[in-house]
Amino acid sequence: MDISKIRNFSIIAHIDHGKSTLADRLLEYTEAVSKREMTDRMLDNMELERERGITIKARAVNFKYKADDGEVYDMNLIDTPGHVDFNYEVSRSLQACEGALLVVDATQGIQAQTLANAYLAVDNDLEILPVINKIDLPSADVKSTKDEIEEIVGIPADDAPEISAKLGTNIKAVLEQIVKAVPAPKGDENAPLKALIFDSCYDAYKGVIVYIRVIDGTVKVGDAVRMMHTGAEFELVEVGTLSTFGLNPKGVLSAGEVGYLAASIKNITDTEVGDTVTLSSRPANEPLPGFKKVLPMVYSGIYPADGAKYDDLKDALLKLRLNDSAFVFEPETSAALGFGFRCGFLGLLHMEIIQERLEREFNLDLITTAPSVIYRITYKNGEEKYIDNPTNYPSPDEIEEAAEPVVNATVITPTAYVGSIMELCQDRRGTFIDMKYVAGDRAELHYILPLNEIIYDFFDALKSKTKGYASLDYEPAGYAPSKLIKLDFLLNGEPVDALSFIVHADKSYARARRIVEKLRDNIPRQLFEVPVQAAVGGKIIARETVKALRKDVLAKCYGGDITRKKKLLEKQKEGKKKMRSLGSVELSKEAFMAVLKLDE
Amino acid sequence: MKKLMLYYHFPFCLSKCAYCAFFSKAGIGDEVVEEYTRALIRQTESFPTDGFEVTSVYFGGGTPTVAGEKRLCAVLEAVKKRFSLSENAEITVESNPKTVSANGLRALREAGFNRLSIGAQSFNDGTLRLLERPHNAEDFVRCFKDAREAGFDNISADLIFALPGESTDMLMHSVRSLIELRPEHISVYGLSVEEGTPLWKKKESLSSPDEEEEERQYFLLCEELAKAGYSHYEISNFARPGHESRHNTGYWKRTPYFGFGAGAHSFYENRRFSSPCDIDAYIKESKSGCFAPTGFSSAAEISEAEAEEERIMLGLRLSEGVRIDGDIPPVLTENGLAALKDGRVCLTEKGFRVSNAIIALFI
Repeated sequence: MDISKIRNFSIIAHIDHGKSTLADRLLEYTEAVSKREMTDRMLDNMELERERGITIKARAVNFKYKADDGEVYDMNLIDTPGHVDFNYEVSRSLQACEGALLVVDATQGIQAQTLANAYLAVDNDLEILPVINKIDLPSADVKSTKDEIEEIVGIPADDAPEISAKLGTNIKAVLEQIVKAVPAPKGDENAPLKALIFDSCYDAYKGVIVYIRVIDGTVKVGDAVRMMHTGAEFELVEVGTLSTFGLNPKGVLSAGEVGYLAASIKNITDTEVGDTVTLSSRPANEPLPGFKKVLPMVYSGIYPADGAKYDDLKDALLKLRLNDSAFVFEPETSAALGFGFRCGFLGLLHMEIIQERLEREFNLDLITTAPSVIYRITYKNGEEKYIDNPTNYPSPDEIEEAAEPVVNATVITPTAYVGSIMELCQDRRGTFIDMKYVAGDRAELHYILPLNEIIYDFFDALKSKTKGYASLDYEPAGYAPSKLIKLDFLLNGEPVDALSFIVHADKSYARARRIVEKLRDNIPRQLFEVPVQAAVGGKIIARETVKALRKDVLAKCYGGDITRKKKLLEKQKEGKKKMRSLGSVELSKEAFMAVLKLDE
Repeated sequence: MKKLMLYYHFPFCLSKCAYCAFFSKAGIGDEVVEEYTRALIRQTESFPTDGFEVTSVYFGGGTPTVAGEKRLCAVLEAVKKRFSLSENAEITVESNPKTVSANGLRALREAGFNRLSIGAQSFNDGTLRLLERPHNAEDFVRCFKDAREAGFDNISADLIFALPGESTDMLMHSVRSLIELRPEHISVYGLSVEEGTPLWKKKESLSSPDEEEEERQYFLLCEELAKAGYSHYEISNFARPGHESRHNTGYWKRTPYFGFGAGAHSFYENRRFSSPCDIDAYIKESKSGCFAPTGFSSAAEISEAEAEEERIMLGLRLSEGVRIDGDIPPVLTENGLAALKDGRVCLTEKGFRVSNAIIALFI
């Protein structure tokens, strides 16, 4: 392979700005895939991704392009997940490229997430090629969009191709730009092997499929390789490139190329994203820079709605874990919910994706507890512990200092909403850093915000306060001391562990009131009166009462007609199967989830 | 001999009451009523009666007396001819004031009807107007006295509580007025405003008692009736000793019954089924010579498990309760909802109000 004819690039875009559609058009144009074979949006191959219109896992595809200069280029498009939860994965995908298309919707302009990824691309020394999409829409404003790119990202956008991915307009211009502007990879195919892992997935027959970009050296079938960070060693069974039709085993990959390895690897944790693959026999001196162990940021308990499905849930979690090294879980027991699992996620979206996949692909009915971040507790005896489960939160008199994770948050918004965003950030305990006005009528705000507030309902609040125009990006910024307390809830005098959560002291009363009211409204009336209480360290701070059931739904039995009564009882019986006993109180899954639902 | 109860449905009324959601029609022409009566007789005549002892016959509606005493007597005649009735069989006919004369009542009594049920609902004329009942309190009293004079010594009257615009005092006025007449049996229902009724349409403007008030009314009337010697033997029914409705009790003890007429329900040969609520279709079908209405052959037999659930669900309507194995959930005794007496779960008056939720604990 002539390294000068290789072009490795990815596409950076905000959700719905047309990344996947553009990818499809590129493949279609170069006939890597015929129109007939094309399901809409070829690159997103999980059902869920297709439905949500987002890409969850990075994928790559190799295709040939015969350029105007008469040469045939070997193109590798590396897809990147477009969400803040997967920042690290994005950065590794970008590290595998020399260039990135920055796709901006001409009707919406740059969004915070796009900007964050564009910065990541700059950090990785990528050549950034702006592409203006959706020029077919009447509200498209190409000129302002270009100005904005120049002003915010700081790269020239005058020559940016103006395209409509939907209609296939100007796709060729994009391909020519890639060939001309994206540098060919540099690398020495005779140097010791250094290949970057940018993704992996599990295949039932081949084991873990490792997606790599070869930086230096050559790798082929039969080679013994070593993962430089995890230390795991394997003998390669398959080496090849990635076509739109799947794996294309060609036996060898050398410097500059993108492809995959398979070695009957059983455990996906052996092949972490960002690790460097080298030859066992002739290892590189040092791994590629930038490796980081990805750690969960958000934890939640997942329980089967039907306790008998515990084993099914466990099997499903194990299967998901095979494909997702960022997802962790371990068994936990709740007095209220029985046997389940404490699960760790990269963020809220990651959590939602896992939960939805469990319900959809594995047909499980779940009860999930409120998401929690990881708190750092310094005990009076000097010991330090990280707590991801409110159940394990120590009592106040044991705590010397409590700290919570904070993030650097960037919000890009039309200036009209600056006031309400500031108000929101203030309310969510944010610390203002700075704000700048960009490209006329837009502003970029920086805040330090507790992650705890972000996972509560920040996204939804931001969306509703700005009619969806503001976008948010954030990155971890360590820990900050905080006045934290644990809120407990009692039904009929008995604490319900699954409802406990950690909250900032200033918010405890309001939050307690709200949950207590939700419980009151959602707990079906029982045969007796049920006190609902919120407590901090044994002290009741809010109370409501679920009144006793006083009267049945009527089902008259006139003239021996008992059909309605039978139906009613049948329904009750069905409902009873799904009831969870929280102490002496019967609660449906729906009621439980309604209480935990994070809305204001 | 196997016991059987018979039910005859008369889906006719003088006028439709504002709260009524039952299958019944007002203003049906006399020819149709006549044809319908003949159909009932035809169905009766074609019924395979072998081996049954009929313990109760119940003419319900609608308002059977709207058909006129002659027709009712003719149907009863057919019943007597076809079936073997127990000597002390309970033979009930439902009526409303203004649908039957003193003479009519005499004729019914003479023909063999030995129990009369009259709809009173309220003794407050304003309420009766709101409910669009075609009578006032005085009409009821007259009808009641006529029935006594005609020889009915077993009379039941219906009352409704939780009525819009009725204070507790107004309800108690109705209860006391009724008790004064000394009926043998009293049925009491809380008003439920059901979808599709005229009352439903104006339910926003009604000043219906709230839950607490409704409950207060219920307990007050229970107390008043108990004081007057009526026992609360069934969820909605009170009787002076020995006058419990055998027909009603039979339903809850799973005595088989067969329903004649359109929209009538049956529990027969271990199946539950009903005929369509369609007068014309019923008349047509009765000419086919088949005794059983549509639905009989397609109805599934009741399994043992289902029968056991029915036993509990229906049996708990009676104050004598149902036999159960083992213990009663403590939540019931702790909250005064039920008691265990000689191995039987019996609901209290408080328990009657939430019987569905209690039944759900047992099935």
